[in-house]
Amino acid sequence: MKKIIFALLAIMFSSSALSHGPTPQKVQESVSISASPEKTWDALKNYSEFNKIMKVRSFDDKKMKIKYGLIKKDVPYSDYNAQIRVKKGANENESIVQWTARFYRTYKLNPPIPEGQDDATAVAAVKEIVGPGLAGFKKSVESN
Amino acid sequence: MVNQKKLLIFNSKIFYFFILTFFLVILYFNFLYDFKREYISKAYITNQGDNTVSIIDLTTLKKVKTLKVGVAPLGITILQNKKLVFVGNVGTDDISVIDAVDDVLIKTIKLNTAPLSLASNPEETEVYITDWFKNNVITISVEEMKVTRSSKVGKTPSGITFNKKHQYKIITNRDENTIEIYDKNYNLVRKVNTGKHPFGVFSEGDFAYAANVYDDSVSVISLIDWSMYEFLVGAHPYNVRVHDKLAYITNTIDDTLTIYDLDSKKTIKTLDTGETPENLDLNIKLNLLVITNWGDDSISIFDTQNFKFIKEIKTGAQSRSFGDFILQ
Repeated sequence: MKKIIFALLAIMFSSSALSHGPTPQKVQESVSISASPEKTWDALKNYSEFNKIMKVRSFDDKKMKIKYGLIKKDVPYSDYNAQIRVKKGANENESIVQWTARFYRTYKLNPPIPEGQDDATAVAAVKEIVGPGLAGFKKSVESN
Repeated sequence: MVNQKKLLIFNSKIFYFFILTFFLVILYFNFLYDFKREYISKAYITNQGDNTVSIIDLTTLKKVKTLKVGVAPLGITILQNKKLVFVGNVGTDDISVIDAVDDVLIKTIKLNTAPLSLASNPEETEVYITDWFKNNVITISVEEMKVTRSSKVGKTPSGITFNKKHQYKIITNRDENTIEIYDKNYNLVRKVNTGKHPFGVFSEGDFAYAANVYDDSVSVISLIDWSMYEFLVGAHPYNVRVHDKLAYITNTIDDTLTIYDLDSKKTIKTLDTGETPENLDLNIKLNLLVITNWGDDSISIFDTQNFKFIKEIKTGAQSRSFGDFILQ
């Protein structure tokens, strides 16, 4: 019994320690698209789906990247900033689109952290927009 | 007859000249060797995403080692004479101490609170740490390797630095938009309002500089008459360093570095960095500027004489290094 209590305490302390501190979270995913970087970049600029969830901060034609901030307020993450950039692929008819998101959990104070306001919840929620978002964009470019 | 000839050689000036030259050559090579050995400079990069420190040799521009530290390492400071590196782990609430000669972890100091940034006094007898959640500055005795003091400061103390000339500890309090100046005895000398969300801080001579994340600006504060002015930089500046009348600022959202001339009060150059450049440090002898790119898991190295990009080197995940991270 004592052992179990100690084990539980250890888990409690270690998990609270892990989600502790002012640590920005990062979700970075990329997808390979069968189109030239120029074509992909043009498509990205005109793709409206991303603008429904994020606000465009800036375009950079030379570096082929778009910076985003957040529109939605009722999300389990905060201080969200992202960039999507187009890079060269393995050949001239291939490009890589990379989405990097930087954000924090919603709870900023001292632990204990309330359920649903921790790092893991924030990361899971952002992954839900990044993965399917990139897949949708790929489909849209390749079907054109 | 033969013996006499030999003796003649020993007495000749040419012989002594050769001996002397021989020793001089040996001395020269010894000196060269020592010089080279003395000039080892390394950058210590805290990788918050994988709980490691990447060690980069700045003379060869190669990664030489990766060390495991505590969870989510962020802040860092280096004791240049004692050759010790102090790293703050915000996930495990402790400090990892690295011996910078052999690059091994020699001590873990438990804090029981999240260390944000670190700085030492010039004598290297003490290390000061900002305690983000509990609004303290914690003092560690370097000799004893333990906490000796904890003092209340402003809200969410973030950056900390030590001004050698005035013997001040200088702290940015992010959520209350202030910079605080404390004397040797931890008495508050002055509290000055900055821009919004002051984070990284630097101080030298009679000035302190704070990067205001939400205002896209840097506050310059006079430590003599407490006058202040601000200048604009790129989006979401994180940290600032000053050398030779030039201020270098990392703009996290723009992926750029601003170089601002403090004399002419003009931005003289904006350089492209990697993704989300957070922190920076300089090696004056090698004329190098090193920037940590959180988004690219790398560092970018620039030449401070011509502002040219030299090299990007991969680090661990989410490279940050908040503080002075170069062993000079």
